Amino acid sequence: MFRRHGIAGRMTLFVLAGAGAVLALVVWASGRHSKKLLEQELEGKARALAAATALRIEAVEKSVTGTADELAALLEKVPIDRESVYVLLKESVRRNPQVFGSAVAFPPGLSGPEDTGAAPYAWRTGGSVSVKDLAEGGYHYEISDWYALPKVLKRPVWSEPYFDEGGGGILMATYSVPLLAGENGDRFLGVATCDVSLAWLSGMLSSLPLEHKGYAFLISPNGTLIAHPTRQFIMNESIFSLAEERSDEALRVLGRKMVKGESGFVPFVTLTTRTPSWLAFAPVSATGWSVGLVFPKDTVTGKVRALLLTQILLGLVGFVLLFFIVRFIARSITRPILQLDSATRVLAGGNLDAPLPTIPGEDEVAHLSSSFAAMQKDLKAYVEELKDTTAKKERVERELEIAHSIQMSLVPRTFPPFMGRKDLEIYATLDPARQIGGDLYDFRLLDDDHLLITIGDVSGKGIPAALFMAVTRTFLRGFFSEQLETERVFSRLNDELLQQGDTSMFVTLFCIVVHLPTGLCRYTNGGHCPPYVLRASGAIEAVPNVGGLIVGILPEAKYKSASFQLGPGDKLFFYTDGVTEATNKANEFFGDEGLVGALEELRAAPCQDLVTGVRARVGRFAEGAEQSDDITVMAFTYWGPDRQPGA
Amino acid sequence: MMNLERIKASVGRKLHRQMGLVAFLLLAALGLGSQAPAPTKVRLALQWNHQSQFAGYYVALDKGYYSARGLDVTILEGGPDKDPMEELRSGAADVATQFLTGALTARDGGTPLVSLAQVVNRSNLAIVAWKDRRIRRVEDLQGRPMSLWAEQFSAPYLALFKARGIQPAIIPQYYSVELFLRRGVEACSAMQYNEVHRIFQAGVDADEVTVFSMHDLGFGFPEDGLYCLQSFVARSPEASRAFAEASMEGWKTAQKSPEEALAIVMKRARAVHLPANEAHMRWMLTSILKSIFPESAEAWKPGELSREDYGRTVSLLLERGLIKAAPSYEAFTGKELARVP
Repeated sequence: MFRRHGIAGRMTLFVLAGAGAVLALVVWASGRHSKKLLEQELEGKARALAAATALRIEAVEKSVTGTADELAALLEKVPIDRESVYVLLKESVRRNPQVFGSAVAFPPGLSGPEDTGAAPYAWRTGGSVSVKDLAEGGYHYEISDWYALPKVLKRPVWSEPYFDEGGGGILMATYSVPLLAGENGDRFLGVATCDVSLAWLSGMLSSLPLEHKGYAFLISPNGTLIAHPTRQFIMNESIFSLAEERSDEALRVLGRKMVKGESGFVPFVTLTTRTPSWLAFAPVSATGWSVGLVFPKDTVTGKVRALLLTQILLGLVGFVLLFFIVRFIARSITRPILQLDSATRVLAGGNLDAPLPTIPGEDEVAHLSSSFAAMQKDLKAYVEELKDTTAKKERVERELEIAHSIQMSLVPRTFPPFMGRKDLEIYATLDPARQIGGDLYDFRLLDDDHLLITIGDVSGKGIPAALFMAVTRTFLRGFFSEQLETERVFSRLNDELLQQGDTSMFVTLFCIVVHLPTGLCRYTNGGHCPPYVLRASGAIEAVPNVGGLIVGILPEAKYKSASFQLGPGDKLFFYTDGVTEATNKANEFFGDEGLVGALEELRAAPCQDLVTGVRARVGRFAEGAEQSDDITVMAFTYWGPDRQPGA
Repeated sequence: MMNLERIKASVGRKLHRQMGLVAFLLLAALGLGSQAPAPTKVRLALQWNHQSQFAGYYVALDKGYYSARGLDVTILEGGPDKDPMEELRSGAADVATQFLTGALTARDGGTPLVSLAQVVNRSNLAIVAWKDRRIRRVEDLQGRPMSLWAEQFSAPYLALFKARGIQPAIIPQYYSVELFLRRGVEACSAMQYNEVHRIFQAGVDADEVTVFSMHDLGFGFPEDGLYCLQSFVARSPEASRAFAEASMEGWKTAQKSPEEALAIVMKRARAVHLPANEAHMRWMLTSILKSIFPESAEAWKPGELSREDYGRTVSLLLERGLIKAAPSYEAFTGKELARVP
């Protein structure tokens, strides 16, 4: 199907298709690989960042817990009057910038039934530190978690974060340490607390180096969201309330892991935009909080996509470059081929002198070009040679034509030949073959009573043969005008022909002299096939052989003559070996049998019909096979002197 | 909200069409020299922060059920530091919500309370216990540390413990369940509509705790009711009756369109920056509605305090020594006791 495109087109197509397949494979594989790598990288980074963030928060909380612990230790060991507690608290807040406020809450009734309790409190307002007694104004601190929890649990407690009611809605958490005395530490003296503002958390979490659209959140031990980019969530929602709202059981399971202090890296769907993400979480051990860092998955897929896009773009640029390079190479290969092609078209058109492109180098195309050049040279030589040969052949053929016209001009072709003679009838045809020729026939009245009939076949061909035939005819006419003895004429002719000096020329010859008044025939045969006598009675007989060599071969050749009698109505049938040696396609000869058969059928016919009839049968027999020799057929009817004119 | 706007718009269009008639009537009224009575101002004090526990009142206010009855109602948010009974006494509020037990205690303490409506008739009190502490039955609480609300709230529990012959180690419980969550106690008192779900929302799975319903245990007593001073009923008998009716209509609407009621509750909570989430408020609304409207009509009449329940509650409080005496059912519910049609 690609055959209709040129080599350059196919080459470009296949190379680009191959390169495209490789590119696609590379892009696909590198996409997968880089996604995996990026995810691994993200996991490592996310886990580390989550842990580091947790530690950062913990560091702040620890400075607060340290302050409260010291305060508690001091109050447990040293009895201090309540007024001095204010000084202590104020100093403690001033010295510790992380501490927003600090209180010591004494249980009511500690110093007697009248004791309604007291909770000295120092806190930051603007640039200074203020103090007050929390118990004033009807505030029942003893029902607050920050007081009740450490009292019951007998251990320091981080409260759940809360909005500070007096401090303008600042998110706070309180660390409370129970003041325990007695041998077993079972005497509860009150609670020392430090408040920490969590306002800094949001700022710190939002400044984390998270990817685009990534964010951080923080949950309390109860799962309450302490920090989250969606402000509405903070303190309102817990990870469990969101799970319930969204019927997201997996989120609840995740929340439980987080509040249990586990850490991990898990698939996650963001709470507001439902974006598929990764979540790394780590516990803030001191407070029981959990930090969650959310990385949208498309930060990874986006990176991978960007990477792939770059690869694809580079690949496309490469493709375009490759296209031009391949096309350049393909064209550099096909250009000389195309040049060769157009040159050979001109060459094929017959212009052998058309210049072939010269292609430098040693490559296949250069070889092809030089082969073409060699071919062109050979062709030119061949054509020159062919021209020569054709000219020669034409000359030969011309010669043959001349020879034929000579040959044909030497035989009588006017029938009937002797006007006014009723006692005889004669008819002949000569069909010259193209290559081998040399048949001849002749008949003439030597005088009123004697008719000479000659048939022969000269060896060789062309003009020499034709001339030899003419010479033979001339000699025969000359000799027979001097004498009627056929054997003498043959001897003389033999001598004369030998004297011509060309021993390659000879002739088979049969001559017969018919004495017309009597019908007596005297004949001599020089190697020719003897004619048939077709008696009026119906008998067909060959003229008896008298022996005699082909004329013009041996000087001492002896010829004999013989005679026989013709009756009125008897016919003589002459032929050359072109008849009996005519072949059909199966290479079978027409032969003597064929000839005798034809004669038997046609013996009653007039001479002309007999001749044309035999000739036609030979022609039919040879059907399509090339005529290889001259075919000469001649018939003579002796009617005798008594035949009246018009009979 | 949208519906309300649409109704307003529709009414507006009608008004526009009937402008001529209205103008005529207005002129006629002026001519006769009589005016519509000024709406009666009623201030309702809630016993806690805004939440679904009071959904019916917000709905009644938002839907105009109060104003339709000629009442100009203001809802006052409660909280841990506020006592609605004190607000009634001080005159800061006209009507207050209160547990029946709390109302009876206050009446015994000398506050002349009258019940306008008994909104919550089925108890929502419960006990939540850690399953992993092998607390499966009430008897398992014997000797175990348990946090419990004080005073009138504790009465049903203490009655239960007495009936079952057990003595858990009681630790005072205030408004948070942190002590329970941090395992400071093995069980705590809880409201079905609030703490039970708060514990769930703190990540404790339902199968980690056992929840005992006080109602199921046979120690359920009516809870939220609407109360005012006798003086208020005497002064505005119609208004107090209308207030109870409109409030119950509000609750009915909340039952019919809980999502709309929820939105109204959330709006209230957000307005005062209360930590609140919809999931919890939905749970609370669903739960409390079940304790206001019975599944079968025979259980109780919505909004009405049954004589039997009143008697049971009085007996409980007397028995626990929380009150010395109680008024008669008729005196407590007053002549103007609201009846929901």
